[in-house]
Amino acid sequence: MENLLYVGKSVPRKDGPLKATGRAQYTVDLSLPGMLVGKVLRSPYPHARILSIDTSKANKLPGVKAVVTAADSLQIKHGFVETPRYPADQYPLAVDTVRHVGEDVAGVAAIDEDTAEEALSLIKVEYEPLPAVFDPEEAMKPEAPEIHPNHPKANEPYRNIGGKTETGWGDLEKAFNESYLIREDKYTCQMRAHGYLEPQATVAHFDYSGKLNVWTSSMGVFIKRAKLAKTLGLPYGQVRVLKTYVGGAFGGKIDLFHHEYISALLSMKCHLPVKIVYSREEVFKAARHGQPLIVQIKTGVAKDGAILGQEIRTINDSGAYHGSGVVVIFLAWGFAMAPYRVPNMKYEGYSIYTNNLVRAPQRGHGAPKMRFAAESQFDMIAEELGIDPIEFRLRNARKPGELLPNGDSVKNFGLIECITRVDHRTDFKNKYTAAIRERTTDSKIKRGIGIGTTAYFGGSLIYPNSSSVIVKLNDDASVSLMTGAQDIGQGCETVLCQIAAEELGVPVDEVQVYAADTETTPVDIGSWISGLTYVTGNATKKAAAQAMKKLLVVAAEELKAEVKDLATHHKEIFVNHSPDRRISYAQAIAASIAKNRGDSVIGEGHFRTMKDEPTHPSLATAKGRWTENYSSYATVAEVEVDTETGLVKILKATTAHDCGFPLNPTLVEGQIDGQVSMGQGHMLTEELRVEKGCVINPSFLEYKMPCALDMVETDYIDVITEKYQKDHHYHTKEVGEGYVSGTVAAVANAVYNATGVRLKRTPFSPNRVLDGLEQIQQKERNHDGKNA
Amino acid sequence: MKKLPKQLISLKVNGYEYEVAVRPNRTLLEVLREDLRLTGTKEGCDDGSCGTCTVLLEGVPLRACLCLAVAVQGKEVTTIEGLAEGDQLHPIQRAFVDHGAIQCGYCSPGMILTAKALLDTTPAPTEQDIKLAISGNFCRCTGYNKIVRAIKIASQNAAGGK
Repeated sequence: MENLLYVGKSVPRKDGPLKATGRAQYTVDLSLPGMLVGKVLRSPYPHARILSIDTSKANKLPGVKAVVTAADSLQIKHGFVETPRYPADQYPLAVDTVRHVGEDVAGVAAIDEDTAEEALSLIKVEYEPLPAVFDPEEAMKPEAPEIHPNHPKANEPYRNIGGKTETGWGDLEKAFNESYLIREDKYTCQMRAHGYLEPQATVAHFDYSGKLNVWTSSMGVFIKRAKLAKTLGLPYGQVRVLKTYVGGAFGGKIDLFHHEYISALLSMKCHLPVKIVYSREEVFKAARHGQPLIVQIKTGVAKDGAILGQEIRTINDSGAYHGSGVVVIFLAWGFAMAPYRVPNMKYEGYSIYTNNLVRAPQRGHGAPKMRFAAESQFDMIAEELGIDPIEFRLRNARKPGELLPNGDSVKNFGLIECITRVDHRTDFKNKYTAAIRERTTDSKIKRGIGIGTTAYFGGSLIYPNSSSVIVKLNDDASVSLMTGAQDIGQGCETVLCQIAAEELGVPVDEVQVYAADTETTPVDIGSWISGLTYVTGNATKKAAAQAMKKLLVVAAEELKAEVKDLATHHKEIFVNHSPDRRISYAQAIAASIAKNRGDSVIGEGHFRTMKDEPTHPSLATAKGRWTENYSSYATVAEVEVDTETGLVKILKATTAHDCGFPLNPTLVEGQIDGQVSMGQGHMLTEELRVEKGCVINPSFLEYKMPCALDMVETDYIDVITEKYQKDHHYHTKEVGEGYVSGTVAAVANAVYNATGVRLKRTPFSPNRVLDGLEQIQQKERNHDGKNA
Repeated sequence: MKKLPKQLISLKVNGYEYEVAVRPNRTLLEVLREDLRLTGTKEGCDDGSCGTCTVLLEGVPLRACLCLAVAVQGKEVTTIEGLAEGDQLHPIQRAFVDHGAIQCGYCSPGMILTAKALLDTTPAPTEQDIKLAISGNFCRCTGYNKIVRAIKIASQNAAGGK
């Protein structure tokens, strides 16, 4: 590997000092002269017709500057997905009907919070409640109330089908006929909150020039602009979305959120800045949460453990509107087929409308649920066959270069190496067999070990599909990097600086980022779909390389040499073998401006993943390329289960991960640690409890996220399968999402290893663990009774 | 809704004395953020559960969202803005920046002040001391590992005179 100066190093994050000193401005911190407080009136009903809305009293309240309802809006629908098959299905302000508790009905802007609250209480809405349905399997029944009567139907005998993914290959019947063993299980995952600490927030200012300026806590400014422009009926040029620091997102701040729309509409009415910040209770009760999922999985294997076929059916409760429901049923398929060979497959996924809250993507977007199901079943099958969990996985894991049924290649796929290395590092097999032996001892604390694995995509084609970057060399040879990327805490600004620094040979400190402004920075794919480091990273690389090339051309002229004979060191350019013939970067930049009629040195770079693919794969048939990069992970969790209380404690999580080439190891570790913690919450404590469509535990006191005392010890193993070379396109893979799944699956298997309790529903709360233990004891008693 | 009359109070924040007219039902958090524009102190939950609004009152961590501004008159309040000296980061801030303890940064002000209170009273804390001290401060990004490590390093640096 060539000597790298900045890439591959644990460079401290660029925004660290600003954040550590409290100077970083988040959306919630912004204040503009004359700014008003915005508030939203929400539906108290899960399903109701709106008969009338009377805002006259609210309008007359002194201090109220604007009130908006659907009547003030253009009534244009939007959707996370907007395709002919899945048209937009949600109004930003309810028109005629509300379909979930908390749906946005009206907005007010007033001089202070008290006045805004009072104005809300003065709005009179007359509702006619309609029958509602909350369970997705109930909602599919022919007698269920219909939530979107005019929605184009999938060709199905079921009701409330928001979307369906159907795909398959091979001859599944034959595969099952030839199987030595077939298992069929059903797994259910709960609804979880994202738990970002900065609440949903927007400041919108429609100024007198007719421009809408929006600051919002988001994961990508360009997609926000597109959705706002569409629903407000404004041209893109009139909508400017700008960067703020973002206090966490985890999937929960993508797509249009209605506070963004409502604050904009209010500001358009009164020409004053309007700020809406959700209370934490509002975030819990009205914002989007993660996707619950039911996974039914039937797997047939040969005697040696080779998977012969799988039949998978997923049911997603999408809530009252599509949200990302039609995407998660597509992705769940991908997470089933990517890591392991499944030669024959039938997959169908249903996204079902209910009268629950709408869902957003959530770190891993379906992968934790699919891998929990598949990997739990793997261990059950392996046990029945008498094969250990590691061998079972190694037998079926995809090898480098394998082609997937959709035409993707897994390329330099490191899963086998990940499994092997994590096995050795943790002494898995010995601990695994020891735990089974220990199950029968009197000790009330049982220890167990388990493994979970994942493969994850790295960027796909979703609007705006690509990233562009501008790199400008300033007079003093410092560098300005213009990118549309929105850093959400993962550290993308730092990594992009490292890439530019590497290409240019300029210290990272001297690269300044100007980010995420739809007006002044070029288009960017955004901090989601796990593609930013790959797509924007490569765009940065190309932009910096182009600037470097321009600089060398000028230097060659100045030094009367050929570009090919030049070398650089410490911001100086010199002629190879004639080190006296040299010129500093700053001199070359000055020469470029002086001699070339004012040209300063600016490079631009553009990058799109899967350049030859016209669009994203079909969500309905899964046909078409999905991604160019598959990361892989193998996680081993070690747990302790208190058999008296049912409490599970995760002691350690060891991960071997193939994220391609780690551009910044500390940032990579940070992503992994965070995902272990999220997986821990998923498996042990986090669950949004909902009654009749209303979240009944809407605070951090009742929704238990891991705290420092729950901290899990982590260990990492880098499986490096790609290299970073200057001037070459590189294939760094995903590291921000996939690992939640490995943790989730590994904990499930470790709890079984410790106790013999196989749970098929998350979270593994103490009650569920105790019930499982009780069932085992009951079985033993019955068995003893029969023998006696 | 009847508004309570304002009171003129004197607040000592980061060594400065501020005179502010506040209604008695306003929290310290609201007054810090809205009246003094010290927005480094964050709001995350409205009910004292998340720890992002932690400030120090006479050196002791306090949830600014649970405390009325009128109740802290005459007492020394330290917010995150009062920690660094000019451009010189406090050693705990330095350790957080250098050792990957910051991601989105929203918990960082409260976390760093909680750590400061700990190290002021317990200069050589064990890992368990650290976890216990910050157990009321949520972080959703880091899993706490690098935060605990940064606090440990800060304590060691202080002991080593760095």
